[in-house]
Amino acid sequence: MTNKEKYKQAFSVLHPSGKLSVEVDNMMIRKKTKGLQAAAAATAACLLFAGGSGIAYAADIGGIQRTIQLWIDGDQTTAVFEYDGNGTYVIHVDGNENGMENEIGGGGIAVGDDGSERPLTEQELMDTFNDPYVVYQEDGTVWVIYYDQKIEITDRFEDGVCYVKLSHGEETLYMTVVYQDSWYTSPHKYQKPE
Amino acid sequence: MRQSVQELFERYQDNLYAAAFHVCRNAQDAEDAVQDTFIQYYSTQKEFDDEQHIRAWLIRVAINKAKNMNRTFWKKNRVTLEDYMESLTFETPESQELFETVMSLPLKYRIVIHLFYFEDYAVREIADILNVSESNVKVRLSRGRSLLKEKLKEEWEHDE
Repeated sequence: MTNKEKYKQAFSVLHPSGKLSVEVDNMMIRKKTKGLQAAAAATAACLLFAGGSGIAYAADIGGIQRTIQLWIDGDQTTAVFEYDGNGTYVIHVDGNENGMENEIGGGGIAVGDDGSERPLTEQELMDTFNDPYVVYQEDGTVWVIYYDQKIEITDRFEDGVCYVKLSHGEETLYMTVVYQDSWYTSPHKYQKPE
Repeated sequence: MRQSVQELFERYQDNLYAAAFHVCRNAQDAEDAVQDTFIQYYSTQKEFDDEQHIRAWLIRVAINKAKNMNRTFWKKNRVTLEDYMESLTFETPESQELFETVMSLPLKYRIVIHLFYFEDYAVREIADILNVSESNVKVRLSRGRSLLKEKLKEEWEHDE
């Protein structure tokens, strides 16, 4: 067998689960649900606690719900942040014009020096919402998203690496972006790519 | 030219899923990327030259969607690659080894390797899809092959 034949044989096992839909109505409903996710990701949502009065205990899931203000594309939206105490969260956002509630889920773990894992705390998860990240658009443009800032860096790569200085309030971050690969941030200096 | 979503879905869903999976290494994210790609096709007014143009565009969008998904902080509970692989039935142990080895490569190598060996794209076409230079693709392809040869030894032939 040639390498191509071997490769095709090995990866012919990959098939979607069958849950995908091409019916226009279903696709568009899905789009509405995911639209929020994309919008939130595109603006690096800035979360603010609405205050102590917004805290409620959700006995049925054993977690804590907080009313929060979520910034999506410059619009402040009321949402409920629900942490399960085990490293994962769900954000419920008010229903849209069709009365459909949007939900955004997430979570994470921290790995210690000895390789041990633990779920991220509520605060650690919240902190990650403010991390800058890179988005590659279909039109080939590349953007860094940080709080409400969208910075195009498409033409700023030299030898596949771009350095971006980010500021928000008193916070400054030095970001190194390796094209279509990875990025690093540091509050002290630009990291050298691997 | 335009073709119906249904038609394209039936023809290319596996290809897009495989491409997205090479980026995400996760079934759920890859499926989301494929679904979003067809939504994008449905939504766009773009006219295409021919079917190959559509195919390349779909693969490019699926790869970019998967990359975006990879990098968003909106993470869901995910099935690990190891768990997902247990649900797959490989024809031979060698196929499984090749699959695992490719998945262990850095993204920049495995996506180029996939487009070359699975999709039969030429270097120039891969460069267009990934929006990088041809020389960059050649370097990635060469390094990816070397890594595969190093790990798979006689199971992977030298080729250019």
